[in-house]
Amino acid sequence: MTEAETSSPPKLSIRGLSKSFRKGEQTIEALRDLSVDIRKGEFVGIVGASGCGKTTMLRLIDGLTEPTSGTVLVDGKPLERPGEQLAFVFQQDGLLPWRTVMANTMFGPELQGQNKAQSISTAQRFLRLVGLTQFPRHFPHELSGGMRQRVNLARALTVGADILLMDEPFAALDAQTREIMQAELLRIWTDTRKTVLLVTHQIEEAVFLSDRVLVFTTRPGRLKDEVVIDLPRPRDLSIKRTTAFTRYTDYIWRAIEEEVRRSIDAELEQA
Amino acid sequence: MSKVESHSLGAKLKGSGPRWALPRLRPALWQGLASFVVAAILWEFLARVVVDNPLFFTSLTDIAIRGVELWKSGELQTHIWVSFIEFAGGYFLAAIFGILGGICMAASKTARGFFDPWVSMLYATPILALGPLFILWMGIGVASKIAVIFLVSVFPILINTLVGLTTTDRILLDVARSLGATPQQIYMKVRMPAALPYIIAGLRLSVARALVGVVVAELFGARAGLGFLILMSAQSFDTAAMFVGVIALAVAGVGSVAALKWVEEKMAPWRFENVDD
Repeated sequence: MTEAETSSPPKLSIRGLSKSFRKGEQTIEALRDLSVDIRKGEFVGIVGASGCGKTTMLRLIDGLTEPTSGTVLVDGKPLERPGEQLAFVFQQDGLLPWRTVMANTMFGPELQGQNKAQSISTAQRFLRLVGLTQFPRHFPHELSGGMRQRVNLARALTVGADILLMDEPFAALDAQTREIMQAELLRIWTDTRKTVLLVTHQIEEAVFLSDRVLVFTTRPGRLKDEVVIDLPRPRDLSIKRTTAFTRYTDYIWRAIEEEVRRSIDAELEQA
Repeated sequence: MSKVESHSLGAKLKGSGPRWALPRLRPALWQGLASFVVAAILWEFLARVVVDNPLFFTSLTDIAIRGVELWKSGELQTHIWVSFIEFAGGYFLAAIFGILGGICMAASKTARGFFDPWVSMLYATPILALGPLFILWMGIGVASKIAVIFLVSVFPILINTLVGLTTTDRILLDVARSLGATPQQIYMKVRMPAALPYIIAGLRLSVARALVGVVVAELFGARAGLGFLILMSAQSFDTAAMFVGVIALAVAGVGSVAALKWVEEKMAPWRFENVDD
């Protein structure tokens, strides 16, 4: 790392972020004192057992949920309202069913007050980027799950934010489509140089995509381990069959295995 | 574009056909038509051979003849027109107040808390039973009928508007907020369009109630209208004319419900995906 890079503030800086929810009588601590810095252009994967506060963390960063304590800094400055510097790709595609593919992709620019011609050209650019130019006038219910997720991604990109928050974006897809979408995401990331935070259940997805993988503990979510993925780029799907790759996935699996067991035990106790 | 995805899309598109075309005649529709023909033949047979007494049961051909007579004298048109005015007036007011009321109650928790007991109570009350009271207050003319029809049809519209506006899919709201939408934008561009199919469904539910309202309100006292025709014919043992009134109302009911159903499907095709298959 050069000196200039170390001295400039990190792209995204999370300081002492905590979140507790009230659920009836109980208070549930979803996230405890999380601090992490993310460099510009870095691809960071986040894994952990279910209920480890991964999704909560993304929502806190985007400003969709208010933190109990802690701050989020973008380029060293506190975050303004959602939509400006951060884009969120949700697990469910969240496409407006009454809007066509084109109208859904134009939604962000339209909300920002761009005129129609501008919105259309922005939408077209990002639909081309995600490889979806043939179906601008189709409605979401006429598309496959993979295509809907492409529209979801294109829509998030139209906002022009530098940071992309992705919450298990491929979880609802079948295995083959998911692999293709992973490779597509790497291509898009290489083209756009975004800073990406990707939450996933799949360890191999995190290793394949990321520069660094953060491993979370079970509730309350804390940072348990941090693994730098030193695999060459550009990567293609064949890298998943190399020993270096499996060494990373094995290591991360061991790190979260204990957490997964704890989370299962906790669920059984509740039931 | 991956092969897997384009294949599945192609298959899907072939099945659904052009999106804005008139519905083709499906097997179910032919079965429905056949069932009508069978029923008509059975009716004719029962009336002419089994019962053979036009006072109790009139054949379809006699009803048709009586219908033409009533039409030629201009009587039928008058009744249809009066009933139509009552229906349109009451239903139109119900649509306006139902939608506006739903919007107000969705917008304010206070309004919801204040009006909800009344809405629930009046929705469950058989308002038709108050028909005589309205005639006492407003006379046997059109006004009392409009009031009754308004009251029986306003609540389904109001409740559906309220439910539509307050049950917007959470993920859609998150998406809009994450894209930087203001509260006003969320209302106009997410909540409202999401509620539209509910509002139309409410309008459809109310059509049937409004038609019942027309007939029953006229039965309590009127000078003209299809309900009045039914009552008068029955009292003068003119069973054929009575059936003319009933059939006219049935046609109006089936027609308007089908029209609204069609609008509903065109406006929210994603909600009818499984029905199509």
